[in-house]
Amino acid sequence: MISLQHLVKTYGTFTAVDDVSLDVAAGEIHGFLGPNGAGKTTTLRMIAGLLKPTSGRIVVNDHDLATEPEAAKMSLGFIPDRPFIYEKLTAGEFLRFHAGLYGIDGSGVGDRVHEMLELFELGRWENELIEAFSHGMKQRLVMSAAFLHRPQSVVVDEPMVGLDPRGAVLIKDVFRRMSEKGVAILMSTHTLEVAQEMCDRISIILKGRIIARGTVDELRAQSGGGDAHLTDVFLKLTGGSGLQELDEVI
Amino acid sequence: MTHDFTFLLRPHFLSARNRASRRERGDLTRGVLFGGIGLVVFFALFQGASWLTGQLEDYAELGDYLLRMGLSWLFLTFLSFLAFSGVVTALSTFFLSDDLRLLLAAPIAVRRVFHARFLRTVAQASWMVVIFLAPVLMGIGWARCAGPWYYVMAIFTVAPFAVIPVAAGSAVTMLLVNTFPARRARDLLMLMGLLFAATLVILLRFIRPEQLMRVESLPDLTGFFATLQSPITPLLPSFWAGEMLFSTLRGERDLLHTAALWSTALGSVVLLRMAGERWYLSGYSRSQEASKARFDQLRLLDAGVRVLPMSTVRRQLLIKDLKVFLRDVGQWSQLLLLLALMLVYLYNFRVLDLDSIPYMSVFIKNTYAFVNLGMAGFVMATVAVRFVFPAVSAEGAAFWIIRTAPISLRDFLWSKFWTGFVPVFVLTESLTVVANEFLSTDPFMKVTAAVAIVFMSLALVGLATGLGARYPRFGADATQAAGSYGGVAFMVQAVLFIIVTIALLGWPSSVYLLAHFRHLPLSVSQQLLIALCFGGVAAMSVTIWITSMQSGVRALEAMSQ
Repeated sequence: MISLQHLVKTYGTFTAVDDVSLDVAAGEIHGFLGPNGAGKTTTLRMIAGLLKPTSGRIVVNDHDLATEPEAAKMSLGFIPDRPFIYEKLTAGEFLRFHAGLYGIDGSGVGDRVHEMLELFELGRWENELIEAFSHGMKQRLVMSAAFLHRPQSVVVDEPMVGLDPRGAVLIKDVFRRMSEKGVAILMSTHTLEVAQEMCDRISIILKGRIIARGTVDELRAQSGGGDAHLTDVFLKLTGGSGLQELDEVI
Repeated sequence: MTHDFTFLLRPHFLSARNRASRRERGDLTRGVLFGGIGLVVFFALFQGASWLTGQLEDYAELGDYLLRMGLSWLFLTFLSFLAFSGVVTALSTFFLSDDLRLLLAAPIAVRRVFHARFLRTVAQASWMVVIFLAPVLMGIGWARCAGPWYYVMAIFTVAPFAVIPVAAGSAVTMLLVNTFPARRARDLLMLMGLLFAATLVILLRFIRPEQLMRVESLPDLTGFFATLQSPITPLLPSFWAGEMLFSTLRGERDLLHTAALWSTALGSVVLLRMAGERWYLSGYSRSQEASKARFDQLRLLDAGVRVLPMSTVRRQLLIKDLKVFLRDVGQWSQLLLLLALMLVYLYNFRVLDLDSIPYMSVFIKNTYAFVNLGMAGFVMATVAVRFVFPAVSAEGAAFWIIRTAPISLRDFLWSKFWTGFVPVFVLTESLTVVANEFLSTDPFMKVTAAVAIVFMSLALVGLATGLGARYPRFGADATQAAGSYGGVAFMVQAVLFIIVTIALLGWPSSVYLLAHFRHLPLSVSQQLLIALCFGGVAAMSVTIWITSMQSGVRALEAMSQ
């Protein structure tokens, strides 16, 4: 599970994340929504250990990230929004390298690598250089690396960007199966249909603060939107989008 | 859309202007250091050319003849350089630049893109030659008291002279890209170019130019001039350029060679444009299709590293670093040039005939041992700034993988250190041992130099790794990272360290050697001072090594602040 307690991140006088508290239980898929610049990626990068919080506490699977960073990271999988990986390695080599970083060695690695490549439909690309991969293939490779070491929690930033419809269905399927096996998933996305379809609970962040949290139905109730679509709920909660003005401008 | 093709060059001018107006950390240091070096080189070339031309003037007609040949040789040397530079630059400007997607997708005639790219190729491929030629030609003009017309003609000579080989080089590139995938062609070209440069360096050295200085080894005068003149065929633009400038120096007008140079330059541009209209787009299209290049799986490396006694994490970091390095031709091929230079360096010691001056031979040999140690230090610093300093930067945008993995940044940086240390140490230690063996230096010197290299390698590789972590340039390639503020700071500190080390080792060694050759015992105070100096070098090296690494680890950890 993932637990954020009064998390704050400031850059000079600018507060990017302001007193965010959040719990993602084992087996839960938790959506993390918010407009651009709301603080989603900063929060996720803090959980992944890429940024140090100004204050607050992050606990991943009972390990405090500040005091036991390696133990916390050992049980966490991170999928960034842009899949930058070593272009001069093959897919198989990259996954073996990734396994090595998590201390996984020995005869079982090869089988696990094949298993993950097959799961993400990259099996026939195992011996190809990553530089030849499309964006979507790189994204799937990063995901296979994130699940390779059997993490108990996964943090995903924008999983659907660059994926074709088949890839998107595959990823949704993998996430569901992982959550069924007890993996806690915190997922930031701009694709509200995906959030509505997959997430058990959703937190909405605006200007660094969580402004709403709950199931889709609970969010509808909070926004007073009846049985509105999540997009309408999101727009209401985050202060509208000025869509009405679009007609005039266009 | 009425803009001409120069409009397409605007992004480069604007980028350069913006870069110039936005100061970065270390700009002043870089400016002073590189500007100072540039000025020194400029004046040295100017003075050298001016002095040589002045000397030749003493030999009347023979001097004129030699100056005329000298100019042709000068241009001939640059002709081949420009042609090769044109091939490599054109590959990048015409086919591999990221902005081509934007330009070729825009409603712009391909001809305009082609013109803009060619102008950029000429500028990029020839700026170094122009900068080198300027002080040389100015020096010649100064010595011959040439009027302003000479300088104007120099510009009118160099401009078409640069265009012809670059156009030829661009044509070769277009042919190559239409034959091979662009990325494969780039690897082939880099390899060819470096092999070409390495062979040239070795050949130049092995013809033993120092023999020209021995009167008894010279052929007869006619043979000598025939040898010098043979490659200067009147059909090459280098000959026309030399003739144009030589006649201007004599106050004459050489219309024939001026016309030949200009008409060939214009003709080559027209021909290249015609070829471009026919084959540029097809070549560009091919360069986009080349996704599946062949590469080596390097299974032997996997097996080799597997037997090393190290943790899984370190083993995987090492395998990854080695594979990424070996699969990037642009990286490892530069080692070829370095190896060629080392061969030449060692060969010099092999042919050094110090026994011809017996009364000085022992003294000179042992002095050379220190020169050799200093040289090994500079080789070490150069290799470290080029290959070790960029090691952290080389992680690039993929550094998130390391930072989110359950490994400490200390382990990561130490892995970078050892990966850099082993090759740098083996390279410089063998260089020193072999050179001292060729020189037959005193055994004391051999041991001192061999041990000194161990400590120098620890210090310099540690310094490069630590500074590389403190000043990483994740968006830059290795060469750019080496030339950044951190790279320059490393070189300055490395040079200071080498000087202090040589000074601290030189004095006690000379005391020991003098006593040894005079068969005198060393006094207690002398022994103490020798031990102090040697100990000082060891302590200084270890301190630099450890503090640099610690500071590097701290800097990496502070990145997440």
